[in-house]
Amino acid sequence: MSGTAVRVSEERVVRSQAAPATGPRHAGAQASLIPVSVIALTAAIGVLVVAAAYTAGRTGHIGSGWADRAYWAGQALIVVPVAVRLLGRRPLTASDTVVLVVLVTVAEYLVKICYSPAAFTFADELEHWRSTLNLLQTGKLFTVNYLLPVSPRYPGLEEVTAALSSVTGLSIFVTGLIVAGIAHLLFVSVLFLLFREVSGSHRIGGVAVLYYASNPLFTSFDSMFVYQTLALAFFALTLLTAWRLSSRETDGHRAGWLVLGGLTILATVITHHVTSYVLVATLALICLVALATGQRLMAGWTAVLAAGSALAVAAWLFLAAPQTWSYLLPYAQGTLHGLWALLGGGHASPAAATVGPLGNQALSAAAVLAMSALLPVGWWCVWRRWRGHPWTIAMAIASAGWYVIVVVRLTVPDGSELAGRASTFIFVPAAYMAALAVAQLTGTAVRWRARTAAAAMLVTVLLLMFDGLVNGWPPYWERLPGAHQVAGSERSVGPEEIATARWALAVLGPGNRFATDVGSYPVLGSYGDQNPIRDVAYLYTSPRYRPADSAQVAAQQIKYLWVDRRLSWSLPAIGQYFPDDPRAGKYHHPLPAADLSKYARMSSIPRIYDSGDIAIYTLSGGQS
Amino acid sequence: MSRRNADLWVTFTVAVLACAVAAVRAPVAVTAGLGLVLFAAPGYLLGQLLARPGRTALERLAVSAGLALCVPVIGGLLLYLARLPLNRASWLGLLAGVTVAADGLLFVRRRRNAEAPARLGRPRETARWRLQPGPAAAFALAVLVAAGAVALAREGTAVQRYPGFTQLWLVPDAHTQALSLGVANNEGATTRYQLVLLHHGTRLAPRKLTLRNGQVWRMSLRFTTNVTAHLYRLPDFSRIYREVSIGRDRSVPG
Repeated sequence: MSGTAVRVSEERVVRSQAAPATGPRHAGAQASLIPVSVIALTAAIGVLVVAAAYTAGRTGHIGSGWADRAYWAGQALIVVPVAVRLLGRRPLTASDTVVLVVLVTVAEYLVKICYSPAAFTFADELEHWRSTLNLLQTGKLFTVNYLLPVSPRYPGLEEVTAALSSVTGLSIFVTGLIVAGIAHLLFVSVLFLLFREVSGSHRIGGVAVLYYASNPLFTSFDSMFVYQTLALAFFALTLLTAWRLSSRETDGHRAGWLVLGGLTILATVITHHVTSYVLVATLALICLVALATGQRLMAGWTAVLAAGSALAVAAWLFLAAPQTWSYLLPYAQGTLHGLWALLGGGHASPAAATVGPLGNQALSAAAVLAMSALLPVGWWCVWRRWRGHPWTIAMAIASAGWYVIVVVRLTVPDGSELAGRASTFIFVPAAYMAALAVAQLTGTAVRWRARTAAAAMLVTVLLLMFDGLVNGWPPYWERLPGAHQVAGSERSVGPEEIATARWALAVLGPGNRFATDVGSYPVLGSYGDQNPIRDVAYLYTSPRYRPADSAQVAAQQIKYLWVDRRLSWSLPAIGQYFPDDPRAGKYHHPLPAADLSKYARMSSIPRIYDSGDIAIYTLSGGQS
Repeated sequence: MSRRNADLWVTFTVAVLACAVAAVRAPVAVTAGLGLVLFAAPGYLLGQLLARPGRTALERLAVSAGLALCVPVIGGLLLYLARLPLNRASWLGLLAGVTVAADGLLFVRRRRNAEAPARLGRPRETARWRLQPGPAAAFALAVLVAAGAVALAREGTAVQRYPGFTQLWLVPDAHTQALSLGVANNEGATTRYQLVLLHHGTRLAPRKLTLRNGQVWRMSLRFTTNVTAHLYRLPDFSRIYREVSIGRDRSVPG
């Protein structure tokens, strides 16, 4: 491997750091106009400004433009100085690069904490909160989780959180934030280490991490209290192990790395299904490329790890989590069906979900164009200088997946969701290719053009990063926390919903089959430990309760009906009122009040609970 | 105690102390600090055992953190397979056990090899990370500002105003078959109510309630069917504030 092949302006600095530091310390940092300590302070102020914007949203200023502008000003204070410093032409020390990478990761995680600083409110976090609570209450793994039945079969996150909560006495929420935060920072740090090792340049490593941070899920699914967040850390550590095992510098010390690899593989498999499959695929790809390029040592060790991973995945799938098939199959079938329809000359119909404002769409399109243009430059760079390097070639091959997720996003029903989830993994090689492209473009430019090229690359990175923030999570309609929102996400989780869900658990007991709307669905399943059913729109969208409805209720064994009269007040923020909604994206008026109040007039349907906005009725579907 | 094994003694002491304070039910402030160190200790020690050649401080730290997270994942599964309940004692036993075992192994290895403990950040990285007073002050200020941001966000949730609400319920008891009636006040202030029951449409004697915020009132009814409860929020008698009803075809939960 030879990092000297890459023409980047600071490469001499990289090389100088390989030797003992005999010269003046912080030579690079002194040359810079913005020390990293000042950037840290700026980022912290950015977090404070975002927190102030969130507080403004909570105190009723959500409609005022200044709160929204304050949010973006705060984000700019976090992102822009880091990007300027990483992409600037002034020298950058390795330690400064590490600080910048950690800074952007920690600052964005703090922003995420500030959004929900008192309790988990995002649906997926509530699912894992329930699994953890079940583990703490029963002392057993593999308990029932009605919201996400597959989650207890991958109990890694819950085990770590339960262990930390048990030995510290802290709440699940606080320990969950600690675990997710450590895991996220660990993932990003190891990613940086890998990028730096593979490229031989810490600046390329830092720029690649910056590109990775533009992934729309970086501030949400990659850092939330969800099983993927923890699994990603194990995934990255396994790759680091593969790199170290393949390195001749590790001669004589391989046993320890092999044990570490075995542990991280097991931990990945126990923690998250998709991440463990991606791990097998990644190791297999590196192994094949290493074979093709004649790197036998690398091929051998990655083959060992790939085989171990595949074995562990298969064993877990068959012995502990056979239901994973039925969980993942519909997603896979939907994607394949959409792509097949596209290849067959027809056109697949993308989901009629809510689309963002025109500005958001324009930014998204520009970001897609920018990344799509950078990748071929990265490939060209690989072709010219890295042809014999298996890891770089493997990343070049995998980065082609970027175009696949763009196609999936545009053509497959629910494609945005799938593409978003896949971007967590696809952005790893794509970000590295983009960083190589940046190094190539800025390195080949001469004199006055170098400054223009660096500025252009800075604009590109910022474009991608702000696209990730604008079109990531939370969505535009819930950018700031605030008052209750019909069929929203975090803003549908309020005191009345939580109190009602807790009442259901205390009075009705756990596991009852409930009909409810999409906003209350995660609250009822987590705080209430109930079994909410997805396909229930028919109960809320007609003025009469028909015999056919009664028959379907019986078939679905629905026992209770949760009716929130606020569904008739406004259109659904997320584009649909119900978890499975046949009219998703097609609503032009709120649900008629009569469709919701019809049960109050029926003496045969007991109304057992009333909290003003929410009423609960007993249906006959659960009767034995 | 030799200085080169100080880390082993510290982790050993933390493991023993963490078990001790758990046994005497110490306050969370104590258990939290010790628990966090105990949680990290196995990762640090296993990192020393397994990945000695880690080249940079960041890499050694990453390996230690990863191992610290691996221990509960794999250890918890082993405890479960051994049919041990995953409660506080088990987790303490697992983390303290791994810590003490790794302490022992490292102690033996160091004595045998007479090697210096590879502490984090040594030797080259520490030298580069020595901070001047100015940047150190800026970093400290950044930490304070970030902590202030989280505190501000928490305060924001505390002052966020939600509409108050009152819960009224009427459910058949799964065991006694009697109807259970309840009212919970979450209006944010003490609230006066009037509760009116109708049995087969006949109005029974009304009951006045005064509930503090957060207070719950319950009663058991002798009726089993055809009951309606109307709750008025005083002083407004003109509008039924909450209503629940169970007719003839009632459903039994549970």
